[in-house]
Amino acid sequence: MAAIVEVKDVHKSYGKNEVLKGISLDVAEGEVVVMIGPSGSGKSTFLRSLNKLEEINSGQIKINGWDLVDPKNNIDKTRETIGMVFQHFNLFPHLTVLENMMLAPVEVGKQSKAEAEQTARKLLDRVGLADKADVKPNTLSGGQKQRVAIARALAMNPKIMLFDEPTSALDPEMVGDVLAVMKELAEEGMTMIVVTHEMGFAKQVADRVVFFADGYIREEGTPEEVFNNPQDERTRDFLNKVLNV
Amino acid sequence: MRKWLTGLVVLVATVMGMTVGGQTMHAASHYTITTDTTFPPFEFQTQGGDYRGIDMDMLKEISKREHFTYTLKPMSFNAGVQAVQAGQVDGILAGMSITDERKQTFDFGTPYYKSGIVMAVANKSKVDSLKDLKGKTVAAKTGSSGAMYAQRMAKKYDFKITYFNDSNTMYNDVIIGNTVAAFEDQPVMAYAIQQGTKMKIVTDPADGNWYGFGVKKGTNAALLKDFNAGYAKLVKDGTYDKIVNRYLGEGGYNYKENAAAKSAADQSIWSLIKENKAALLDGLIKTLQLTIVGIILAALWGVLLGVMGVAPSKLIRGLSSVIIYIFRGLPMLVLAFFIYIGIPNLTGQKIPAFTAGVITLILNEGAYIGAFVRGGFKSVDPGQLEAARSLGMPYGKAMRKVVMPQGIRLTIPSFINQFIITLKDTSILSAIGIIELTQTGTLIIARNLQGFKVWLMIAVLYLIVITLLTWLSNWVEKRIN
Repeated sequence: MAAIVEVKDVHKSYGKNEVLKGISLDVAEGEVVVMIGPSGSGKSTFLRSLNKLEEINSGQIKINGWDLVDPKNNIDKTRETIGMVFQHFNLFPHLTVLENMMLAPVEVGKQSKAEAEQTARKLLDRVGLADKADVKPNTLSGGQKQRVAIARALAMNPKIMLFDEPTSALDPEMVGDVLAVMKELAEEGMTMIVVTHEMGFAKQVADRVVFFADGYIREEGTPEEVFNNPQDERTRDFLNKVLNV
Repeated sequence: MRKWLTGLVVLVATVMGMTVGGQTMHAASHYTITTDTTFPPFEFQTQGGDYRGIDMDMLKEISKREHFTYTLKPMSFNAGVQAVQAGQVDGILAGMSITDERKQTFDFGTPYYKSGIVMAVANKSKVDSLKDLKGKTVAAKTGSSGAMYAQRMAKKYDFKITYFNDSNTMYNDVIIGNTVAAFEDQPVMAYAIQQGTKMKIVTDPADGNWYGFGVKKGTNAALLKDFNAGYAKLVKDGTYDKIVNRYLGEGGYNYKENAAAKSAADQSIWSLIKENKAALLDGLIKTLQLTIVGIILAALWGVLLGVMGVAPSKLIRGLSSVIIYIFRGLPMLVLAFFIYIGIPNLTGQKIPAFTAGVITLILNEGAYIGAFVRGGFKSVDPGQLEAARSLGMPYGKAMRKVVMPQGIRLTIPSFINQFIITLKDTSILSAIGIIELTQTGTLIIARNLQGFKVWLMIAVLYLIVITLLTWLSNWVEKRIN
């Protein structure tokens, strides 16, 4: 399988504080990579650098054939191929659910309104929210908002989806619905990079688990390898804390 | 949205064109001449709204004989002097004394009236010489010969001076006792007293001087020549004496007696409104024009400043901050004078008063709008921009479609507030000779002395318009939410 994400030796600092200390990672098409690790380990910063929401200081990032470090690279075109889902959903509160989903396809994807609406309604149906098309986001529960956010990202027909702690801001009973949508997406063959604290999801869905700590990737492997036989002391320590509550 | 914007631009252009366009077309022998708002018997406004008086009648006769036309722009004497120096107007005929100091910046026509400075006090006052002024405060008109005389005497006799922009306000200040005496040109003071102003003259005319028609030094030679030729004809055929007699002779036109008789016979506010309906309506329309054109353009400018204030480029953000800092920091009156008088003084290019007023409003109100719009944009969750950019939307589009609609919504109450402030701020523009509602009030009072009732009327008019504006704004706000 061809790698659609190629990352080499990425460094990133905020002032004197280096948060990424040389990250390299390749992701193959159709692969689901789950990134775990303690807070502040750099995994969210790394994920956000993959669509240039964070500028890196050095290293190489190629994604879907676009070279993010090249100053002549068209970042808007690049981003059209990368779906991003945020912890706090970031739905546009002044637009209805349907308008949220149609905005980018019409404005930058050059789709007709009818076309965009058809796609949007199909996707809404897929995430189980067909009846919410015409409401404003503030009437939705957290879980519903996140499913709309996923559908909104999918409306651009991306080649890869990035999830930044998609369930961390949800009430526990909402988490399942969102994870179910993500699992379905994975089963359909979507390339996904997910930052999460949901170890169950990682075990069940991930092709590969990557453990971050202190700005480094400490360990990576299949879920069985990482969860059942962690090699790194930091990984063991972390898993002990999150799994044996 | 786009249609709405186009409509707006057309509207603004139309209103601007209506008020500005007419003034730019000049025939060869058309002049703009300024005079004082009230300086009877030389210039004052009649009930009908015309300007009359010795200067005004003389100017009319001279223009007829010398075949030129003119637009009269009454403003406070001080603003008029500066307007001539700035090249905003061609000449000033306002009972202006010819002094050596003024000769350095003005060319004067043939001296046409001999005058001197007198001191006048309230009828019951015990002050009857300059010596009695020690430690007290007197009144004078800004930039007038009376003021210059008072300034010289102030050192010798140890008194302070308060300055006023028009004679009526100055007289009233002395009559109610805020200041103890006024320094005024003799014929003007004598005429005012003859007409019922409750004051008395207590000194002999000092600083005997002549009145002259003034143009900016080294300019408008043709106008000056016409004036002198016409004046010579008036003197020769007796018209000049006739004009002077019309105001100062026995049984001459008595504008205050006329006004007093009228107000004694019929004092109701309704009759005041009826009498001044046309003037009030004109003033109100001018105020509304200024407000509407001003707020629309200021809003566009302010939103631009707000957008610049959250731009990714440090340079553009800094530029926005500096512009907001400067124009929020400047008093509006200073800004208005700077644009109307300061800039033409430098460039020699005239700026019509209305345009100068609108520019003042744009810069001043725009700075306030820019500040709160920037605040509105900043208070939109940064995640909104990130989400829009992540979907592939370019910065400009993401701002326009996602951040700005949310940010602007937050600023609607501030916008309503700014509408009302703008409406009120237009009154400041009366200082550069725009006859809006406040200036209309000043002019009506100069004529009928009904200070309380006229200011009450003006105040109520402002309140009515502000109330309507508030209702409209609240309705719009509800619609948007």
